[in-house]
Amino acid sequence: MKTRNLFLTTIIIILAISCTEKLPLDKDLTKKSYNLIDQNGKEVVFPEIIRGSITVMGFIYTHCPDICPMTTHNMYLTQKELKKADINDVKFVALSFDPDRDSPEVLKKFAEVRELDFKTWTLLTGEKSTVNDLMKRFDVKAIKTDESIDEDGNSEYSMMHTDRISLIDKNGRLRKNYKGSTLNIEELVNDIKTLKD
Amino acid sequence: MSILFAILFVLFPPEDKIKIKDPWMRPSSEKMATALYFVIENKTETADTLFQVDSDLAEKVEIHETYSDGEMMGMRKVNFIIIKGSSSFELKPGAHHIMLMKLKKDIKDGDEGEFVLHFKQAGEIKITATAKKQN
Repeated sequence: MKTRNLFLTTIIIILAISCTEKLPLDKDLTKKSYNLIDQNGKEVVFPEIIRGSITVMGFIYTHCPDICPMTTHNMYLTQKELKKADINDVKFVALSFDPDRDSPEVLKKFAEVRELDFKTWTLLTGEKSTVNDLMKRFDVKAIKTDESIDEDGNSEYSMMHTDRISLIDKNGRLRKNYKGSTLNIEELVNDIKTLKD
Repeated sequence: MSILFAILFVLFPPEDKIKIKDPWMRPSSEKMATALYFVIENKTETADTLFQVDSDLAEKVEIHETYSDGEMMGMRKVNFIIIKGSSSFELKPGAHHIMLMKLKKDIKDGDEGEFVLHFKQAGEIKITATAKKQN
C-alpha cells in the first residue's frame, strides 16, 4: 500500500513539474477589475468578460502597419488551428495601448477588415490610465516615438512596444507569455490543450 | 533628347536591371496604415538604391524598418535601401517594408494596388500588389 502511494505521489509531482515547465506563470488577474470599452462602445469589466474561458490576449495599436497586424494574424491563425482540433470555446481579446486614437469604431473597423469573428473576439480600449494600469499587470510597455503634428493639427506618431500575446486560464490566471509577431502557433495550441486537460 | 531617352528605355527597360518579385500588402481600412512587401532582385553588377515609392492608395508613403530592443519592437523611417549588385533584398514582415499612411480607402483581402518604385539607376518601375491575409 505504501509503495503504491509513493508511486502515485511521484507521478503527480512529475505531472505538476511538467505542466509548470509548459506553463511557467501563475499570476492571478482577478484581484483587480478594469472598466474598459469594447468595439461596440459597450462598457465591459476585465477580467469578468473572460471569466470561465481560456483566453488568448494580444496587445496592439491599429496604426501599426507591421508588428501588430502580425500579432493579430497569429491570433487568427491560432483560432483556425483550434477549430481544426474542434476547440471552439477559446476567447480572443486584443487590448489597444493607444486609446487616444483607437476608439471603439476604429477597433471595429480594424477587426472587420481582418474578418475577425465577434462571437469569440473582443477588442478593448478605454481611459488611458485604466489601460496603462492593465498593461502594467501584464508587464507590457508602449512608448510614443517620432511624434509630429500633421497639417490638420493632428498628432502623428509610432509606438515602440512589447511584442506580446498572453495565455490566460479559465480562472483568470496568466499562465504564459509569447512573442506576438513571431508566435509559434503550434506551441500555443498545445498549451491551450494542456489547460483543457 | 527625349527621343534618345525613349529609345534607351525601349532598348534597356528598367525591369532588365531590377526585378520586383512577389509584391503583396496587408488588408487595412481607410485612414489607417498598412505595409507593402516585395523582393528586389538586382540583376546588374552595380548597386542600386530604392529611394522613393509613390501610390494613390495613401496620402503618405515611406520606406520603414522594424527594429527590436529586447522584448520591445519599434518602427522608423529610412531614407533609402541599397541593393548590392547581383543580389536580392527582401522587404518582409518584421523587417523593412513600405509604409502606407492615411489610406484613402479600405484595402480588403484580394484587392489590388498600383505602386511606382523609384531607383537611382533603374529609374521608375511600376508594380501591382495584391492584399493578402498572411504573415
